[in-house]
Amino acid sequence: MLPFAPMSTTSEVPAEFRHAAARPGPFHLLGEAIQEVLSRRRLVVYLVRADIKKKGADTFLGNLWWVLDPLLQMLVYVIFISIIFQRPQPDYPLFVLAAILPWKWFTSSINDATTSVTGQGSLIRQIQFPKIVLPMAATSAAVVGFAFSLLPLAAIMLLFPHRISAFLLLIPVVGVAQFLFTLGASLIVAAVNVFFRDLGNVLRHLLRLWFYLSPGLYSLAMLEESKFFTEHPTVLRLLQLNPFATLFESYRSVIYGDPVTGPHLPDFAALGALALASLVLIAIGTVIFKRLEPMYAKVL
Amino acid sequence: MIATAEAPPPLRPTGRHAIEAQDLGVQYSLRFTKKTTLRQSFMQMFSREPLEPFWALRNVSFSLLRGESLGVIGPNGAGKSTLLQVLAGIIQPSEGSVEVHGHVSSLLTLGAGFDTELSGRENILLAGAFLGLPDGVVRQLAPSIIEFADLGRFIDAPLKTYSSGMRARLGFAIATSVDPDILLLDEVLATGDAEFREKSKSRVIELVTAAKGIVLVTHDMAWVTEYCNRAMLLEKGTVIYEGDPAETVRIHVERSAQRKAERAAQIGSAAI
Repeated sequence: MLPFAPMSTTSEVPAEFRHAAARPGPFHLLGEAIQEVLSRRRLVVYLVRADIKKKGADTFLGNLWWVLDPLLQMLVYVIFISIIFQRPQPDYPLFVLAAILPWKWFTSSINDATTSVTGQGSLIRQIQFPKIVLPMAATSAAVVGFAFSLLPLAAIMLLFPHRISAFLLLIPVVGVAQFLFTLGASLIVAAVNVFFRDLGNVLRHLLRLWFYLSPGLYSLAMLEESKFFTEHPTVLRLLQLNPFATLFESYRSVIYGDPVTGPHLPDFAALGALALASLVLIAIGTVIFKRLEPMYAKVL
Repeated sequence: MIATAEAPPPLRPTGRHAIEAQDLGVQYSLRFTKKTTLRQSFMQMFSREPLEPFWALRNVSFSLLRGESLGVIGPNGAGKSTLLQVLAGIIQPSEGSVEVHGHVSSLLTLGAGFDTELSGRENILLAGAFLGLPDGVVRQLAPSIIEFADLGRFIDAPLKTYSSGMRARLGFAIATSVDPDILLLDEVLATGDAEFREKSKSRVIELVTAAKGIVLVTHDMAWVTEYCNRAMLLEKGTVIYEGDPAETVRIHVERSAQRKAERAAQIGSAAI
């Protein structure tokens, strides 16, 4: 007698055949990825839970850092901009925070996704499972961090009560567009980092540059007024193509709005275009990730 | 899953076959070995030495019938673990093909998929999800896993508080709880204390007698002669001998001794 309950599902497992010559096409890979994620959604949930637990566990203040971190960063930028430019936008702390929070979400997603596959090397060499759940889980776990960071936003909003509006309810809508873009980028960095471990170092600087080139500490409207950009409209157009130009401007529309008149609706056309482009990016990222997947166990 | 035109037709009724490997070969490209950095890639790009592909396995053909237990032995670096990785579907073969009938459970190293921050109970759910078991099944199996692992109150403590023996016990209990058709074992029987070793031994014997296929990689020759009905000797990625366990072990011991003597002679001549 076996001391364990026999598993009824084992007999239904079909014969598996692996052949060296098999090389599936991109659409086959996409379909496979969708099916894998759907059938392993439990695993994604458990990984997200484990990730959140871990992040809170290893420092003394734990999850409190999710609240403190953006506030301290906001303070740095407010002091910095107030001293350099003397005359910042009205209610500047809120202006900056509207960009810091989504940016922190993006960078933590990308950083976690970069090491999501390489960090599980021993597991990948021991168990056969769809590796795509790893960057999926890393990206999803970061959403929880963002949700928590809305607490300091609420606190700061109380200092500027005239900016509180129903438009705040649109934050998740902008968030969806950002999530889609982040997921696509995450899949690519997770796969590439397996082969080039320097990616983390490169990304750190790339992300910093990206932030300063995005309208986070300033608005696109401020750029349009400046002399340089009226003379070089192509440069301005290039900056507007940046996904984070759309995202930051959208977040700022619903949180901060116009410096004088306050919050308003975001540019839905731009957000929709970004969401569509992000879906294409996800498809490309999935195909890259799946194409390289058979090599992970050998390289790690 | 993917049947191609080149797929060889089964010679015998497939129902009786657990594993059928044909001309299996696994090649490692040394271009992307461990921890490649930009610097190393650049150096490789400009280096004049061509990168030699490395075959971890070559021309390996064998079949495993239901109820058989195959012991794989050989010196370090012979490709034993690579063979198990291919059978488990972790690595795709570079040439040849492998056909696996039934649910495979691999205990390549115990405790794969564990998260040290989570409790033993939570890790059962996590490991089960990694193994691809439906959540309901894992929850149903959890009590018997906990009982077999015999961790007492530690089952609700984070895994980082466990000793390596406790982790191995939990890993063994999870991997064998799924009642697999084919069990892949890689040098895992020497874990835990004497009592658990006995327990795991009898569990493996149960699985063998329950008409399941087993592929076992081990350095413990007693295991091979006692519990395997067939054995395979691998050296440098190729099969040297396959057949009766006692005979395979004898050849392995003989060849190891010979290699040892050769090495000693080499060192001796170098010293002179």
